[in-house]
Amino acid sequence: MPEKIKNKKNFFTFQDVVFNLQKYWSKYGCVILQPYDLEVGAGTFHPATTLRSLGPKPWKAAYVQPSRRPTDGRYGKNPNRLQHYYQFQVIIKPSPKNIKQIYLKSLSAIGIVAKDHDIRFVEDDWESPTLGAAGLGWEVWCDGMEITQFTYFQKMTGIECKPISVELTYGLERICMFIQQKKNIFDIEWNNEGVKYKDVYFQSEKEFSSYNFDHANTEFLLKNFEIAESECKSLLDKKLSLPAYDQCLKASHIFNLLDSRGVISVAERTGYINRIRELAKGSGSIWLSSQIEK
Amino acid sequence: MSELLVELFSEEIPSNLQIHTRQQLENLLKQNLSSSNLKPKSLEVFSTPTRLTIHITGLPKIIKIPAAEIKGPKVGVPESVIDNYAKSKNLNVSDLQKKDTEKGIFYFAKVKGKEISTDKELEKIIPQTLKDINWKKSMKWSDFELNWGRPLISILAIFNEKFLKFNFAHLESVNFTMLENNDQIKQIKVKNFNDYLNLLEQNEIILDHNKRKEYILKKIVSIYKKKSCKEIINQSLLTEVSNLVDKPNVITATFDKSYLELPKEIIKSTLQTHQRYFTLIDIKDRMLNEFIIVANNKDEKKLIKTGNERVVEARLSDANFFWNRDKSFNLIKQINKLKKVVFYENLGSVYDKTQRLRKMAYFISDQLNINKEKLEIAASVSKSDLVSDLVSEFPELQGEMGKYFALNQGFEQDVSNAISEHYLPTGNSSSIPKKPISYSLSILDKLDNLVGFYLINEKPTSSKDPFALRRSAIGLLRTIIENNLVIKISDLIDYFTRIYLEQGVQEKNTQLKKELMTFLRERMKNILKEKKVRTDIIEASISSHTNDNFLELYKKTLIMNKFISKELGKNAVSTYKRASSILEQEKLELKNGPDAVLFKEEEEKELFERINIIRKAFTIKEERKNYEEHLKLLSDTKLSTDKFFEKVKVNDDNNDLKNNRLELLQILCSTFNTFVDFSKLEGS
Repeated sequence: MPEKIKNKKNFFTFQDVVFNLQKYWSKYGCVILQPYDLEVGAGTFHPATTLRSLGPKPWKAAYVQPSRRPTDGRYGKNPNRLQHYYQFQVIIKPSPKNIKQIYLKSLSAIGIVAKDHDIRFVEDDWESPTLGAAGLGWEVWCDGMEITQFTYFQKMTGIECKPISVELTYGLERICMFIQQKKNIFDIEWNNEGVKYKDVYFQSEKEFSSYNFDHANTEFLLKNFEIAESECKSLLDKKLSLPAYDQCLKASHIFNLLDSRGVISVAERTGYINRIRELAKGSGSIWLSSQIEK
Repeated sequence: MSELLVELFSEEIPSNLQIHTRQQLENLLKQNLSSSNLKPKSLEVFSTPTRLTIHITGLPKIIKIPAAEIKGPKVGVPESVIDNYAKSKNLNVSDLQKKDTEKGIFYFAKVKGKEISTDKELEKIIPQTLKDINWKKSMKWSDFELNWGRPLISILAIFNEKFLKFNFAHLESVNFTMLENNDQIKQIKVKNFNDYLNLLEQNEIILDHNKRKEYILKKIVSIYKKKSCKEIINQSLLTEVSNLVDKPNVITATFDKSYLELPKEIIKSTLQTHQRYFTLIDIKDRMLNEFIIVANNKDEKKLIKTGNERVVEARLSDANFFWNRDKSFNLIKQINKLKKVVFYENLGSVYDKTQRLRKMAYFISDQLNINKEKLEIAASVSKSDLVSDLVSEFPELQGEMGKYFALNQGFEQDVSNAISEHYLPTGNSSSIPKKPISYSLSILDKLDNLVGFYLINEKPTSSKDPFALRRSAIGLLRTIIENNLVIKISDLIDYFTRIYLEQGVQEKNTQLKKELMTFLRERMKNILKEKKVRTDIIEASISSHTNDNFLELYKKTLIMNKFISKELGKNAVSTYKRASSILEQEKLELKNGPDAVLFKEEEEKELFERINIIRKAFTIKEERKNYEEHLKLLSDTKLSTDKFFEKVKVNDDNNDLKNNRLELLQILCSTFNTFVDFSKLEGS
């Protein structure tokens, strides 16, 4: 057992960062949601972002989203890379005029005071072929380190956004490494009781890397992809956008696993991405019509 | 002096958009001012990431529009046309006058002279100019309709200390600028440009992008001097960095010396490409474990310096981790993984490409007489580094990394070099590969691209060349020329096509070879133009070029260009012109060549002999050809030709003799034309 460390740290723990961001954005007027209960590749896939960014209704939300990128697994051996990590996601529609200042203030809430740092907005335009989505914006650098993606959505599920939402995606592990001055993700202090990131996720990284790269049953996965796709289509026929979108998310995650298992050939790859995009487009357009009707 | 100040304040606009929009604003303003009879004394556009600022001086307070008679429609056109014309001039039809001109009777409108105040005109011109901007990339935000580079927050407009009032999209012009202070933003009233500049300066903001660049450059150079480093500045990085900051603070920082053991390219990529820092190279060409940060804030607590150092540390340690793992990765075992990397849709994978290159190594090594085994190995592993973690982290290091891996795994030096050098040349001025294995692989790689994309009909158009095929073709030709290589490109194209088809690629272009050869010849024109060769000489060489020997084409053209206005060239051209002008007059169907039996005069025989000597000389082996000698041979026919024309009457009464003489001149001309097409040359 590690020796109990007094919580006299002069920095925020991983969970402090989450709490503080939630508190900050809650005060700003965001609905604080919980993570979506399906495997997703990024916070953007949460229906609270993907679908809610469509249609005329204003929307403000913030949430933590565990995200999975099977191909990024490194069996816990790489100090900067994980197949499962956390994003803190803020989505606001329409984008407010002073969003830049609002964002910069949120950094003070997690111990990054703009006055003492070099905060830079570096061009980074975003695109997601599976979601049929695109946006313009920046990656925000703090002293040379990318800490946030700042994006104005222009298109989502193939549909032009109107009004435009702004999406802020904080990379929680990176931010914590920055404020806690750690060189290795696994050394991040999770709480004030001496629990580190390693204690929570090291074994999981090892086992899931092994699953993602070596053991996921590709035959089952291929079957599941087909099932999710056909279920999605049948739900789209019934105009059930949210359940249909769930199936789209499942298909997307299965595709990522298949990709990491190395069974998707070059020629097939674009085909799979197009199939998922079709599901996303279908879900998006049915969601949108539900928004306009009411 | 009168003065206009306009500031477009927005969220951070990317560097290349700033540059493009500055230029556009300047041009559009000049145009729009001049169509309102306004000629400024000076017109400047400055930018920082958040500001596009226009400063114009020397505009009059009042625009005088002189009285004039303006010609309108012709008398007799439909009434509606006349009505509209009158309306456009704010007149009644009865106010128009008819006048006789050379081209008939026309309506004329008499327009009175008037005076418009410049500020009213500017209130129209400025929003119009903003509307005219054509952003290379733009976006919408919130619930507005406006498209701009990044969200536009406010428009400050002041003319001669007076606030100009206009609307642009959802915005109204204002008389204040915005000042950001960390997470605060304030509005500050501005009187004039000087006032505005002072305000910015007080806040340490350098508005003028050129001054900002100079400031940063001076700081960097002084650091280089102090540390006895080479003063080589990455200009594009400097431009980008100076557009990323408005209050530059140049800081020197260090990283752990142990990382200097990494390949230099990795460090450079990490520091320059990924982090936008400047590297330091000493006069002995050694990299220092230091770098220069251009920050956008003061660093009172030294947090910026240490923060950046930690980022570099993390990135280099990441690179180090990958390097240590990748360098021992067996390049040959990686080849199979290339099956997962797309070369291009419908052209298979990169694995397929390496297989083509390997098979082609057999043919080209035969042609160029180089080591076949080595080239095959180099071709096989040439793309293996693409699946390494290092290259997926640093895509710009493709090839470079492969070379290091290969050296690390005991591949021979020339094979290893080929892995990085086969990507050369990367641009029109970049160097070409000089070593046999490298240049052979480079030629194959580029030809593979050309054949592949032509095969599926993805050819470049005048405006679009998404696969950089022009660059590939020019690179290929330069590699051939600058290495003095005689290559049967036509055969190589055939082999490549066959292998592509064997691999199951669908052929969508049956004219591939013809089109590709024409494409290569067109690129050859570019290369020759760059060498300042006279256009008619380029035309003359290209149009006589029917084979696939581009080295020959190149050498002949240069020789022709060198001697065209000297004795050698003049003699050849005048001889040709003299003979061809007679043939033109006769317009005879000639086919068989002269018959020696029909030669009556000594001069005929002599000329024919000379021609035969030349024809023989032209067919010797390529390697032994000397094009200056060839031109000299042609030039030397002047003597025999002159004698021929002096002594022999072409237009003999005997038709057989006449035809035979014409045949002789014809063969003379066609011999000249196998060198270059002399008929395309101007003058003599």
